[in-house]
Amino acid sequence: MTFRPRALASIALAAAAALGLAACGASPGSQQQPTEDPNALTVYNAQHESLTKEWIEGFTAETGIKVNYRQGSDTEMSNQIIQEGADSPADVFLTENSPAMTQVENAGLFADVAADTAAQVPAEYRPSTNKWTGIAARSTVFVYDKTKLTEDKLPKSLLDLANPEWKGRWAASPSGADFQAIVSALLELKGEAATEAWLTAMKENSKAYKGNSTAMKAVNAGEVEGAVIYHYYYYGDQAKTGENSTNVGTHYFKNQDPGAFVSVSGGGVLKSSKKQEQAQALLKFITGKKGQEVLQKGTSFEYAIASGVPANEKLVPLAELKAPVVDPAKLNSAKVTELMTKAGLL
Amino acid sequence: MTEQKQGPAPAAGAARPPEPRIAPAAAQAPEDTDWHLEIEGVTKAFGALQVLAGIDLTVLRAGTTAIVGPSGSGKTTLLRLIAGFEAPDAGRILLDGREVAGGTWVPAHRRNVGYVAQDGALFPHLSVGQNVAFGLDGARYRGRRAVAARVEELLHMVALDGSYVRRRPHELSGGQQQRIALARAMAREPEIMLLDEPFSALDAGLRVATRRAIGRVLAHAGVTTVLVTHDQAEALSFADQVAVMRGGRLVQIGNPFVVYTRPADRATAEFLGDAVILDAWLEGSLAMCSLGAIPVRRPTVQGRVQLMLRPEQIRIASDSPIHGTVLDWDYFGPESSVRIKLPERPADPRIPGGGEVITIRHWNAAMARAGMDLALKVIGEGVAFPVV
Amino acid sequence: MDPAPAPAPAASRPGGGLAAPRAARGTRSRPPLGLIAAACLVAAASLVPLGFVVAMTVATGWETAFALILRPRTGELLGNTLALMALTVPLCVLLGVGGAWLVERTALRGHRLWAVVLAAPLAIPAFVNSYAWVSAVPSLEGVLSGTLIATLSYYPLVYIPAAATLARLDPAIEQSGASLGLGPWAVFLRVVLPQLRIAISGGALLVALHLLAEYGAFAMIRFDTFTTAIMEQYRSTFNGAAANMLASVLVAACLALLLVEARVRGSARYARLGSGAQAVPTRLALGTWQAPAQAALGVVAALAVGVPLGIVGRWAAAGGPGVWQTAELGRALGSSLGLGLLGALAATAVAFPIAFLAVRYAGRLSHGLELANYVTSALPGIVVALALVTVSLRSVPGAYQTTGLLVAAYVLLFLPRALVNLRAGLSQAPKELEEAAQALGTPPLLAFTRVTLRLSAPAAAGGAALVFLAVVNELTATLLLSPIGTKTLATEFWSLSSEIDYRGAAPYAILMIALSAPMTYLLFQQSKKAAGQ
Repeated sequence: MTFRPRALASIALAAAAALGLAACGASPGSQQQPTEDPNALTVYNAQHESLTKEWIEGFTAETGIKVNYRQGSDTEMSNQIIQEGADSPADVFLTENSPAMTQVENAGLFADVAADTAAQVPAEYRPSTNKWTGIAARSTVFVYDKTKLTEDKLPKSLLDLANPEWKGRWAASPSGADFQAIVSALLELKGEAATEAWLTAMKENSKAYKGNSTAMKAVNAGEVEGAVIYHYYYYGDQAKTGENSTNVGTHYFKNQDPGAFVSVSGGGVLKSSKKQEQAQALLKFITGKKGQEVLQKGTSFEYAIASGVPANEKLVPLAELKAPVVDPAKLNSAKVTELMTKAGLL
Repeated sequence: MTEQKQGPAPAAGAARPPEPRIAPAAAQAPEDTDWHLEIEGVTKAFGALQVLAGIDLTVLRAGTTAIVGPSGSGKTTLLRLIAGFEAPDAGRILLDGREVAGGTWVPAHRRNVGYVAQDGALFPHLSVGQNVAFGLDGARYRGRRAVAARVEELLHMVALDGSYVRRRPHELSGGQQQRIALARAMAREPEIMLLDEPFSALDAGLRVATRRAIGRVLAHAGVTTVLVTHDQAEALSFADQVAVMRGGRLVQIGNPFVVYTRPADRATAEFLGDAVILDAWLEGSLAMCSLGAIPVRRPTVQGRVQLMLRPEQIRIASDSPIHGTVLDWDYFGPESSVRIKLPERPADPRIPGGGEVITIRHWNAAMARAGMDLALKVIGEGVAFPVV
Repeated sequence: MDPAPAPAPAASRPGGGLAAPRAARGTRSRPPLGLIAAACLVAAASLVPLGFVVAMTVATGWETAFALILRPRTGELLGNTLALMALTVPLCVLLGVGGAWLVERTALRGHRLWAVVLAAPLAIPAFVNSYAWVSAVPSLEGVLSGTLIATLSYYPLVYIPAAATLARLDPAIEQSGASLGLGPWAVFLRVVLPQLRIAISGGALLVALHLLAEYGAFAMIRFDTFTTAIMEQYRSTFNGAAANMLASVLVAACLALLLVEARVRGSARYARLGSGAQAVPTRLALGTWQAPAQAALGVVAALAVGVPLGIVGRWAAAGGPGVWQTAELGRALGSSLGLGLLGALAATAVAFPIAFLAVRYAGRLSHGLELANYVTSALPGIVVALALVTVSLRSVPGAYQTTGLLVAAYVLLFLPRALVNLRAGLSQAPKELEEAAQALGTPPLLAFTRVTLRLSAPAAAGGAALVFLAVVNELTATLLLSPIGTKTLATEFWSLSSEIDYRGAAPYAILMIALSAPMTYLLFQQSKKAAGQ
């Protein structure tokens, strides 16, 4: 028997190393969330976290089904779902804007929306394919510094912001899905050449902020005269302390202008989900009366669109916004990212 | 492996009492010889570097062997092979006649071999008491009191009192650390103790004192001891068998007096101490050189040789035909080292050499002024090496 | 000596102490195969992010890659990043070295207190600092604001090693400078400063790497760097080609920095030669400069520590007790602690074979393995995270979105913190001690645990604590890799402060600072000990 001392030491060390590696490898099993529940739904949520949390709490209270969610942004998560394909842990996907929904739909990853859910949502907020459904809506708005701009000096159209006189005077959050949805409407309404030209001008003219609320805050603080954002940031702040919107006025472009674009937030059930029934139930809850009343009465200030629930009374009614008619299924997020990357905005 | 093959040399002329234990091949030894450690044809390489190139060495029970050699000669590796920290590539090692390396392998912790490293290798996280108790046989010393008593006993053995038990290694001097390392190694009552340059980290004065103390403890306990050192004085004073190692081989094994006075070759001679080397002509047992005719014991060569003398063999005489001129001297207390230039041409034309500068020692510095002419004589025999 | 990824050459030298005289003996034998295999496995894993960047560039196709890399946006980001570095790195060196010199070498009143105060900003994550500043002065934006916040957050990375080196500097060298006729100022410039070269170049490298990697702090003040741009691309396209190409430029920048630092550092080592006790350095009398020095340090402390703490405290006060009573806060604290612990344990375990090889079998192999890990840890979290997202999605779908993958990212990012400490610890446990135990009848495995593991345990714990600190404050990789439902203090803080809920974010900031403070102090203490090696 020849048993060398170093052989023993090497076994010990290899064991220690294996232990270390195993600790990383094995931990997912042992270290899963304490809330782990085989029946729990997994939502990929690109909607505002606070809003989705309210929906989930209402849904769990009503059905007893637990819901976990992963927070992200629209196109981050749509691309993620596409990459994950059939292995995606997601059961339900909720977005702020429709282009990401269309992207997942085009990849063939959505199951059909249940008929009773579809029946709750007016056809204009649903794609004809019935692969996903609108769950809420938001309108583009130009917020401006009331101390610097009067109504006559406001841009008449979103396209005006490309003009040299607006150089350095307006802001946006180009990295956000919200703004990218607005660009996708522009692309759909005015075509690629016009959009590219507008984006190039925007790179020159605009200041980029991270997030719509930051952009609005900058307007309020007088750092910039105006910003293209969604409406609810203003109302949300007004409902809280108003400290970030004291000096802010809102200007809707209306006139079917690309800047009057109303974006539909979507929800869909993944085909790969093994909990189709529970997933459809969540979608039904969100578009149902209780879910829509969260929009009407809560602090999200997004528009309710389904089950006949009216919008929050503080908001300008949707009908008055004279939004351009855009088929959500035609909004192309990949092209928008490409054009914005090309323009140096991303 | 030069001299050991020739068998034991008669001890004639050896001035020191212990008979030389020059290790011959085991077979040639008397039947009843009590070999404690036998090393046979051991080799070891690290990568391309051959560190041990065939080592044969035997050590008598209760004997003291010093393996001495310059750094890099492989002596520590040999000690580590005996301890069981490394395994030999070839050859075998026997302890008490039992094979521990070679065909079978006995790991270090089952060899009952004591080991004291250069720096003591005390465990820094343990107190002195815990260090000493580390290797105690739990079955024999049950309970705290038994352990404490044994620890104290061991500390006494190395001349330290019980107050050291609670101290930490870093609070001790180097000599104390070494003594505690010895006490720790003695705790297991090993039959053989391996010392790896245990005194080299100590200051000169402390080195001698610690060496004596440890030597006494080991001799008293009758433990077979193998000491590895690069310090030839240490080897010569500590051991009753000295094994000189160079380039992975044992070039000479013998009692200290023999290896010092009759080194196997010039390199060994110079390693073991200062040497005066002179060209000489050897006829019979008389070597002719600049210092005259010097007797040589049992010469193996004749004609042109190199003659080796120890400096202390060359004395300043009141009257002698051999003269030299003092070049300069170096005074250091008890004696002076004097550089002397020998005459350019020896009287006899057959004698090679002439004009050599030699260094001798002398107690009287007043005798050595530069330019002084001194009469010189040689005491005892010289050693002749063939001319390379 | 470094708080974060220590540059390779400094750390890859065997430590001193007991091991040094015997190191050569250990190196001659060949390391066990199992050990090599484990270390190689770790090194291979650590090269995944680099491999990812290369593979992605190839997969994207050269034409697309060039189009994406050579666009004006890249130039803009490069310009921003370079400007930020050009301003911040010298400022950090100035503050760091100046502060260290005042604290260690002058008769500064209260120098003991100042020594700690100057290191304190390290306990405040840069993105918390940024949040504090931007919530107080909303108009902060652009490169100058970035420089302000980055300098205040990162100058301790220069200060700590510089102070540690100055504290250990042999005063005899200064004295011989003085005896050669140099005045105090000339002694500082010609004798002291050159000795700080390693501390300065190492610290400056760390600052520069942090500037490249930081996301949160710059995103808050709308300053675009490569990392923020990659994050934006990620949020628009998940792991699209544009994000990956920006990542490859970022990686190139990091590697370039490593090379520059290696060049600047040179091969010289400044150490005390010879033995014997070292004299206590004499402190330079400040005289009339005492008051200005106190004032200058006061300003630095007020800006770097006072402002963030004050503002975080103000927001917390404005939020009242309500902001503390959320279930999310408890959950986030739980995940942060849990992930920190897991990351610390995993990094220490993974570092072990590499550290062991480096100490016991120093050679080209162990050096190469260490280097692989240092290079990876110099990469920004966003690159490592992107790589792991893509690789796990394509090759190990089971690992995707698991705690394990997140912990693996932490290990890749923070391994050197565990490694440097473990190395120092293992060199305190030379092989001879293990052998001594074996000679005393202890079987090898038991000897290994009773001696080597036991002796390296304190250092391992120190390294683990530093990994823990890094994990708790990690934002970028956690955002990308955290499993569904897992929120840490950093990510919750980030989502709240992004929505301008400054009050709600305050408790998270306070908890992060509270968790970081003791670790920062530990780091500070450790640097003092480590500088001599």
